[in-house]
Amino acid sequence: MTITGRLARKAIAVVAIGAAAALALAGCTTSGTPTPTAASGGTVTVASVNDFTSFNYNTPQGNLDTNGVVNYLTTGGFFTVDPSYKVIYDTSFGKIEKTSDSPLTVKYTLQKGLKWSDGEPITSDDMLLAWALASGHYDSGTVDADGKVTKGTNYFSIAGSTAGLDATSLPTLGTDGLTMTLTYSTPYVDYMLVSPIAQPAHVVATKAGLKSAADLTALLLKLPKGDPASPAAADPTLQKAAEFVNTGYDVTAMPTDASLLVSSGPMTVSAFVPTQSLTLVPNKFYTGDHKAKLDKIVLRNIPDANAQVAALANGEVDVINPQASADTLAALKKTTATVSTGSTVSYDHLDLSFNATVFKDAKVREAFLKTIPRQQILDSIVTPVDAQSKVLDSQQFVPQQSSYADSVKNNGSSAYDKVDIDGAKALLAGATPEIKLMYNTKNPNRVDEFQAIQASASKAGFKIVDAGSPDWSKKLGDGTYDAVLFGWVSPGYGYAGVPQIWSTNGGGNYNKYTGTDKLAISTQTELDSSKINAILAKMDAQAFSDAYGLPLFQLPGILGASARVQNVKFMGNQTGPVWNFWEWTVTGK
Amino acid sequence: MVSFILRRILVSVLVLIAASFVMYTLTAYSAHPLDDLLSSSALNKEKLIQARIQALQLDVPPPLRWFLWLGGAAKCLIPLANACNLGKTISNANVTDILPMAMQSTIQLVTGALVLAVVLGLALGIITALRQYSGLDNAVTFTSFFLYSLPSFLIAVLLKEFIAIGFNNFLVSPTIPMGIVIAIGIVLGLVVQSVVGGDMRRRLVVGGVTTVLSVTVLYAISLTGWLLKPGLGPVFILLLSVGIAVGATALIAGLRNRRALITGMITVVVALGSYFTLQGLFDMASVGTLVILAIVAVLVGLLVGYLMGGYDRGQSMRVGAITAALSGGLVLLDRFMQSWPTYVSEVNGRPIATVGYQTPNLGGDVWVSGIDSFTHFALPTLALLLISFASYTRYARAGMLEVMGQDYVRTARAKGLPERTVVVRHAFRNMLIPITTLLAFDVGALLGGAIITESIFGIPGMGQLFFAGLGRGDLNPVMGYFIVIAAMAILFNFLADLAYAALDPRVRVR
Repeated sequence: MTITGRLARKAIAVVAIGAAAALALAGCTTSGTPTPTAASGGTVTVASVNDFTSFNYNTPQGNLDTNGVVNYLTTGGFFTVDPSYKVIYDTSFGKIEKTSDSPLTVKYTLQKGLKWSDGEPITSDDMLLAWALASGHYDSGTVDADGKVTKGTNYFSIAGSTAGLDATSLPTLGTDGLTMTLTYSTPYVDYMLVSPIAQPAHVVATKAGLKSAADLTALLLKLPKGDPASPAAADPTLQKAAEFVNTGYDVTAMPTDASLLVSSGPMTVSAFVPTQSLTLVPNKFYTGDHKAKLDKIVLRNIPDANAQVAALANGEVDVINPQASADTLAALKKTTATVSTGSTVSYDHLDLSFNATVFKDAKVREAFLKTIPRQQILDSIVTPVDAQSKVLDSQQFVPQQSSYADSVKNNGSSAYDKVDIDGAKALLAGATPEIKLMYNTKNPNRVDEFQAIQASASKAGFKIVDAGSPDWSKKLGDGTYDAVLFGWVSPGYGYAGVPQIWSTNGGGNYNKYTGTDKLAISTQTELDSSKINAILAKMDAQAFSDAYGLPLFQLPGILGASARVQNVKFMGNQTGPVWNFWEWTVTGK
Repeated sequence: MVSFILRRILVSVLVLIAASFVMYTLTAYSAHPLDDLLSSSALNKEKLIQARIQALQLDVPPPLRWFLWLGGAAKCLIPLANACNLGKTISNANVTDILPMAMQSTIQLVTGALVLAVVLGLALGIITALRQYSGLDNAVTFTSFFLYSLPSFLIAVLLKEFIAIGFNNFLVSPTIPMGIVIAIGIVLGLVVQSVVGGDMRRRLVVGGVTTVLSVTVLYAISLTGWLLKPGLGPVFILLLSVGIAVGATALIAGLRNRRALITGMITVVVALGSYFTLQGLFDMASVGTLVILAIVAVLVGLLVGYLMGGYDRGQSMRVGAITAALSGGLVLLDRFMQSWPTYVSEVNGRPIATVGYQTPNLGGDVWVSGIDSFTHFALPTLALLLISFASYTRYARAGMLEVMGQDYVRTARAKGLPERTVVVRHAFRNMLIPITTLLAFDVGALLGGAIITESIFGIPGMGQLFFAGLGRGDLNPVMGYFIVIAAMAILFNFLADLAYAALDPRVRVR
């Protein structure tokens, strides 16, 4: 038994050595046991299609949907918009008053006691910075066609347009630190839709090497207006500030610098796991009306629409707003979730090129439009998702807006309600015009639209040439096609975008349409909104009588909400379902 | 050898550069990075377009832009300089920042699936080859071809519906109906008797015992609510570990090798001892702790085998290491199970996830987050596994059948070697050669991202990076993807060449 004895001794030695080594080595790598945190108010998880990339939504590269949602939740403002695209002013943040019509003077007054999420007060310094960002007041750069600055300096790069605010002179600030007054050299239609609040001035000031927000204000008030003709030397401090605002907020991980997270809105970002989720918690310094009743709002990245539905069914997310399709809707209806559908602000339309020879004759335009099977297109694309949807009958309004109904009554759209092959034939009087119809071949909806139109118009004698192309966006306005199918996104509120499409030289007027030029430009200096709607209705009627083209339908949207979350309501614009997050409540946990 | 490696590397670099040029120009000419802006009605459209042209250098024609890109990419080769520049995405993120994240999720997704596919595929392939034309062989052949022919999106959706949503619903009151318990038992009995083989009496006994045993276990699981509060406890750890020790010995050394068997048993005792002593350490463990413990466990197993000695030390050491690793794994599994109820209550009673790779804001210790990773990766791993393991069973089966019919195997049998030695020592190694080629290609292909699986399960891996980049006309992430995948393909083919030499002495690397 000597062998067994030796074995036993060896075995004991092994056990002892093994255990000691394990304990000694492993002991160095331990961590304390974390204490679990108890949740009380509830968490709502919202699915988002794209990843979060920037805390600054207002740069060209940061202007993406998920960043917009985070911006909405973390930025206070003078107004919000409801599902009928009505602007609702938030007086708990501040108020906007017109103090004079000529020159147009607007006074912004912040509510007393507002604070950023780091405890610093929100003051007129912040409003001045927001104005400096949005107005491009200090820019003196001249750029070439490729965007290279050839002379002078451009400071802040913004996603929005400077139109409107570029006509304001240097604002005057009130002595109480809560008011700012803007004076416009020309009247600006959307003066009530300027919300001068953006990045925190005290953070931007620190990043630019200044001591406080007041120093930044002093600098902004001192610097001259940029003059592209004779640019002054660049101001290094403002350049530093601009560099920070332009790119400093872009992230690929949770920032270690807490000052990027400073929020003026009801929520503030507490965690960010790139490509997975972003968590917002209530801003404890927020005192306004939009205080959330929840503990947390989590945005979870789920790009695939069906994966969103499965995640909702499995309780991993509570609110989804997936890309609409009949299959997605059918899958969603099988879950226990509350489902609602509606129309979004995107709409498809058919435009005719006024410089195309074939459309020089108004009769050909009218005949072609008479053959467009709008109801059939709607039935095949939209109705399966949203049974209540109707053909869009206005070029200026969407049905959710109150002015839509009145405009449709008188704009002449009823002439194109039904396909009228005989009417078209009569107008053509035997001619067989050839029409090159362009569309995006990568978009299945547009392919369907093209095929429906081709089939219908051929009956009246038109020869429809397939000019579809994946490169369609580059070809817009280049004269290689006669008609085009594509989509616009209506802002839903505000009028600053009207001349873009409807004035002769507007950047979006690919059709060289001149019929509404004067009317469109006149909207920009009109300050009375009821008068503007009258002008728009006139333009609407003009476009139909000129056979400009036809609006087809609004793209449908789907919203699914778990039964444990209440008050989630459909919203058709880019803000999406979070538009009324402050009303959301959670039952159960 | 050195000159072979250097030549391979040089050629690979040249191929990589040429391929990157082709890829870059083709992608650049087909991409539409300005699409969304051109068709927008923004007032400052021109300005936005100009900003993007500046940001992505779109004013430089693609072939020339490739040189700019190559200049940045070349800096990646300078060690420790941290000057790597693969360009930026449209949303101003460095490709060098997002690439590692995508690689990490892909590697997490793919590793488990690949290892499981190879192990299961080989094991099933070998078993079916040894039991050719048995019921099991036919059943495995049918199943693997069936799964192989299913499209991955369908498998993914089915898994979500039944394994995730269905299982989570089932967990609300986890009682298994008696009919299903018996059905599972009978199926298991049929499978096991077919694997064991032998005469009718032996098959009947084995099948019967398996059925009764599994019915009992399932019924107990159902009755005790084990799925809600699972655990193994020392008794089951001991029983299972002894089984592992016996199995490892039988496979590697043969049960007649007493020293190997004793090595296994001593290791089991150590594992059981560690179960009692380490619970305190486990409670405050981190990932590093577990890695060290795993290494220590294997070392202890090797040491026990070494000390046991005997004329074939290597066999004992291997038995010791395998037993230590697996029984140590059981101890860890038991500890994970202890945290299961905590985890289930954290996720509102719905543990199996359908999307993403983690539960947001979970917190918790290494055990809870470990379970969280498991519940998130279980379905995508299974989806990939079901599709890819079929080819391994086929190759393994065919390879094994071919090898078993060769002269040297007959010779080995003729000189009286036990069947175990013939299969494990003589046949197995030669069978691995074709599998190596397959594996090398598979690693490359899988790292390239399972685009469909990734997108359905919301795992933002390499496939997603490539697909999203291509869709948006975002060139730099596409090129980042390309570099990684091309480098991996080259690397793994190179490793396969080296592996041939290791497996087959006739192949010489020059």
